[in-house]
Amino acid sequence: MSVHTEVALAGLRLRNPLILASGILGSTASLLVRAGSAGAGAVTTKSITKEPRSGFENPVIYELEYGLLNAIGLANPGMDFFKKELKRAKQLLRIPLIASVAGSRPEEYADLAARAEEAGADAVELNLSCPHVKGMGLDVGHDPKLVREIVEAVKGSVNCPVLAKLSPNVTNIVEVGKAAIDGGADVLVAINTVRAMVIDVDSKKPVLSNKYGGLSGPAIHPIAVRCVYELYEAVGDTVPIIGVGGVMDWRDAVELMLAGARAVGIGTALYTYGLKAFKVILKGIVNYVKEQGFRNLMDITGLAHKYS
Amino acid sequence: MRFCVSSQVVRLAYIKGRVHGLNKPIERVLWCQIKLDEPLKPEPGQFVMLWIPGQGEIPLSISDYSVDEGILELVIAKVGKVTTYIHERLKEGDLVALRGPYGRGFSVVRESTCLIVAGGCGLAPFPFLVRKLLEARSSVDVILGFKTASEVFHVAKFVHLARRTFVATDDGSYGLKGTVVDVIKDVVDIKGYDIVYVCGKEKMMKAVVDLCREHNVRCEASLERYMKCGIGICGACVLDPLGLRVCRDGPVFSSTILALIEDFGQSWRDHCGRKIPIPES
Repeated sequence: MSVHTEVALAGLRLRNPLILASGILGSTASLLVRAGSAGAGAVTTKSITKEPRSGFENPVIYELEYGLLNAIGLANPGMDFFKKELKRAKQLLRIPLIASVAGSRPEEYADLAARAEEAGADAVELNLSCPHVKGMGLDVGHDPKLVREIVEAVKGSVNCPVLAKLSPNVTNIVEVGKAAIDGGADVLVAINTVRAMVIDVDSKKPVLSNKYGGLSGPAIHPIAVRCVYELYEAVGDTVPIIGVGGVMDWRDAVELMLAGARAVGIGTALYTYGLKAFKVILKGIVNYVKEQGFRNLMDITGLAHKYS
Repeated sequence: MRFCVSSQVVRLAYIKGRVHGLNKPIERVLWCQIKLDEPLKPEPGQFVMLWIPGQGEIPLSISDYSVDEGILELVIAKVGKVTTYIHERLKEGDLVALRGPYGRGFSVVRESTCLIVAGGCGLAPFPFLVRKLLEARSSVDVILGFKTASEVFHVAKFVHLARRTFVATDDGSYGLKGTVVDVIKDVVDIKGYDIVYVCGKEKMMKAVVDLCREHNVRCEASLERYMKCGIGICGACVLDPLGLRVCRDGPVFSSTILALIEDFGQSWRDHCGRKIPIPES
């Protein structure tokens, strides 16, 4: 008996539930295509802003035993340039292309989203959660009222599905998630990185030039599981959830799915294991689902709520 | 922890070391020895990210490495904020931190006849490669090109190891007159080599790679791009159309791969990721 790996996500059809998470390898059409060829079910671009951003000075990354700390600083060429990359990616990709956008104000998000859709994006993801850039991402994403306004504005400017990427760096992620849904979000994405810092004991200085960064990888996986579980408990199947955070192997992915995720974002694992992570993790999920006696990967979404 | 297993392969946490020796062979180049607290296992052509606390972090080619002494050698050209600080302020005994080695280096071929072609500071990775090639019983000829006599450095490092060393300057003020490409065309017989290694300005490398392809000689080139993370995540150093990352899939690429890279010799990306033409000089 074969297992169906396809996943439906607010009008998007994914051949499998593994999505290239935003911020990793998504800076050019060529890299997005490479992730697609490696087996991703969908790909997300690095967050694009209105103006070009050079990001922070090096060091922008530091590895810990349990994850990666980064503050790239939303480096990106700006939407004017990136539209070309989106067009090329759309021409070459056979899987959904999700454009991540970041801004400060609702109109800015709406404009960026509209231009991304026009250039070929199949969906837009709103970065409401980058933890290390002033005035963007988390700085707007912690305020439920502003989140609702942003999503509303974007919904008014595009026809494609709108994904709201949430931060764990808030007191109540459910409140923000609900605000996004009230604004019309078609999918919730949880979580972005966790705001963190590393200090070098010899020089007695924070390692990252920006001092603060976002922690990804195994360290934050249980936080992601908790967030997805809480969100699913609150919204059920009404709005699908993409679970992201420290997925290093199939068990981590299945955990997020059992917590309520219909699809799963992959990021740090691509650094640790390379692009083969997509195929390795998918194979593991398929085996699990088969052994558990299900026909579809989607069948296990939220199962942990039944048994708790 | 699962993460630890992989970090044995790609190590990111900083390795500490102290500046062991410093010397300026020419005004804009600093040669720096660092005695490391922990052993490295570098391959020729790989690079490290050197962190100067409070100043910044830069990618640098591994110029040489002595396993016995744990001493790493770097060639640091004065080009920007961090390298200027290093040139002006770094002194013997200073604590530095680095991560790596990263990337894919040169193929160390056994019992072969090799040609190394370097332009200016592009000679940085080659002292290490020459030693490794000699250990592998290969013979090495070296062509070093500089703008003018006052820019010539490190020649002695190659002369006593290589079978033949050719030095050329654009204005003929030292050694042969002309570019490294002129030397390849006029002085050596390129068909006599099993492999050519090249590092320097990208237009020059493109010319060398093209020459090698014309004569059916295997060739490897070490590319330079603006790098941020150094580990293949951020996408700053991507080559189109294959999506190869200079930091992780390179910096050394074979001429077979380079033939498929439309950016090679043409364009790179600025700090924001916008593609711009590679400047002529």
